[in-house]
Amino acid sequence: MPDPVVRIRGLSKRYGDFTALDRVDLDVVQGEILALLGPNGAGKTTLISIVAGLVRASEGEATVLGRDVVRDYRFTRRAVGLVPQETNFDPFFTVEETLRFQAGYFGVRLSPDRLEEILHALDLAGKRHANTRSLSGGMKRRLLIGKALVHEPKVLFLDEPTAGVDVRLRQQLWAYVRLLRSRGTTIVLTTHYLEEAEELAERVAVIDRGRILLVEGKELLMARRGGKTLRVSLGAPIPELPGRLAAMGARLAEGGCAIDVDAPSEGSFGPVLAALAEAGLPIGDVETRRARLEEVFVSLLGDGAAGGAP
Amino acid sequence: MNTLGVRTLFSKEMRRFLRVPGQTVLSPLITTSLYFLVFGWSLGSRIREVDGVPYARFILPGLVMLGVVTNAYLNSASSLFVMKLQGTVVDVLVSPLSYAEILGAFVAAAVVRGLLVGGIMWLVGAAFTGFGVAHPAVATLLLVAVASGFAALGFLTATWAASFEQVNFLPTFVVTPLTFLGGVFYSASMAPPALRWLTRSNPVYYLVEALRWAVLGRSDVPPGAGLAVAAVLATGALAAAYAVLRSGWRLRG
Ligand SMILES: Nc1ncnc2c1ncn2[C@@H]1O[C@H](COP(=O)(O)OP(=O)(O)OP(=O)(O)O)[C@@H](O)[C@H]1O
Ligand SMILES: [Mg+2]
Repeated sequence: MPDPVVRIRGLSKRYGDFTALDRVDLDVVQGEILALLGPNGAGKTTLISIVAGLVRASEGEATVLGRDVVRDYRFTRRAVGLVPQETNFDPFFTVEETLRFQAGYFGVRLSPDRLEEILHALDLAGKRHANTRSLSGGMKRRLLIGKALVHEPKVLFLDEPTAGVDVRLRQQLWAYVRLLRSRGTTIVLTTHYLEEAEELAERVAVIDRGRILLVEGKELLMARRGGKTLRVSLGAPIPELPGRLAAMGARLAEGGCAIDVDAPSEGSFGPVLAALAEAGLPIGDVETRRARLEEVFVSLLGDGAAGGAP
Repeated sequence: MNTLGVRTLFSKEMRRFLRVPGQTVLSPLITTSLYFLVFGWSLGSRIREVDGVPYARFILPGLVMLGVVTNAYLNSASSLFVMKLQGTVVDVLVSPLSYAEILGAFVAAAVVRGLLVGGIMWLVGAAFTGFGVAHPAVATLLLVAVASGFAALGFLTATWAASFEQVNFLPTFVVTPLTFLGGVFYSASMAPPALRWLTRSNPVYYLVEALRWAVLGRSDVPPGAGLAVAAVLATGALAAAYAVLRSGWRLRG
């Protein structure tokens, strides 16, 4: 296995008595998209801010491409792009100026091609000469992404990149993120939109109360936590399940108005449907659903809480 | 060193104040010109001369000093404060700029604004009182040192400040009174004893006197005192701003 692009070991951050990050270990692999999921206040922003150099760790270390983010900050900051969670803008300057300044801080002259590419990818070409103050919320966020890309970082941290971005543009941004990844950029994103993680990420790290609960391939995570579920809605509630269905693991839901059955390990609902037909129940509707990452995530956090973190 | 980075931050700071010249250059110019006209003219007709120097010419160095000090201070203070407020300070903090480079760029732009305003004020005043400068090199050196010191103080204040009111505290409650009591409009040796004592225990007085020496060729106090105050101010404030920036206090979590 190649050396990780980002390597985090024993990283803690304390604010007074409060522990925002608790001995976190995490590796980010070259070329992957890793989603960092966790509820509000879990420590996602703190974690990526330490790697980007915005926050100082209380303990532990983080390296980017093998170099320490504190000792070798000039090197690691050139390798890292950060899209912060909070949008910001400088009311004195235009979109183009903002991008040029940001490149300059990194010691890079923004080529006309690169500028065009960023403006187009983020749908800001028409706002090139607009004062950043006049941008809408979603545009400001896109500009934030543009700023993080000007120096062509090897690793891109996206802290809730699509908060407040409309559906069409979200799709467009996702496509751009995939394009960046296909060109070799390693991407870490935090998000509350679980569909975003589901859509983009290869691996998911779940963090809660400053601790990493699990890091797993997305497919594995979903497979581990749930297969398909069949839901049969009934025309009228029934008081009790026919014994044959109960034996197949079916259960009543919606106060007797629906029956849920998890997919059997052989993967076919055939016998279940046959049993349903045989029982002569008033079937209204039939649907199957796959557990979404969201549900997996909620059940994991439930486990974490039961695990009794202080 | 990240040369392009420093140049970019410097030019961004420069453009920021040049973009609103009314606020940053014209308004201090008008204020100070008004002082000059009102005090210089109204008192000038009665005082006429201080130690053989026409009164209007006598007060000009002090007014220039006030202009340089407030503008250097306000440039770095308001710029950093707005960056903190808007969150754009993050853009600089995630960049490979070192602390010295960040501070250097801020201070350099603030010094330029201070000298620009001071220079224009001097030109306006000199149009009435004559353009002669006895020791131009000393005048420049002194003003650069004083401006750097106040730019660094502005940087420190903005790091600490939570409101614009706090940013304005130093110029309103410290710099302006000290300048007015620093012999800008009077000669300490001709002042009543209490005022004379107050003036002589005020460090700004020595700065004003040193600039007077550099411009007029004469002063009550040897210019070395003012140059020493300027050197201590510049090194002290720059070192403090650097240490605070490095510590991450209020800027880096
Ligand atoms: N400067 C600070 N001082 C004190 N506590 C802080 C500071 N910054 C963050 N925290 C605390 O650290 C914890 C983690 O915050 P963080 O911003 O990393 O969470 P997050 O996972 O990004 O949450 P969200 O999803 O809401 O963005 C929170 O409880 C927060 O209140
Ligand atoms: Mg966050």
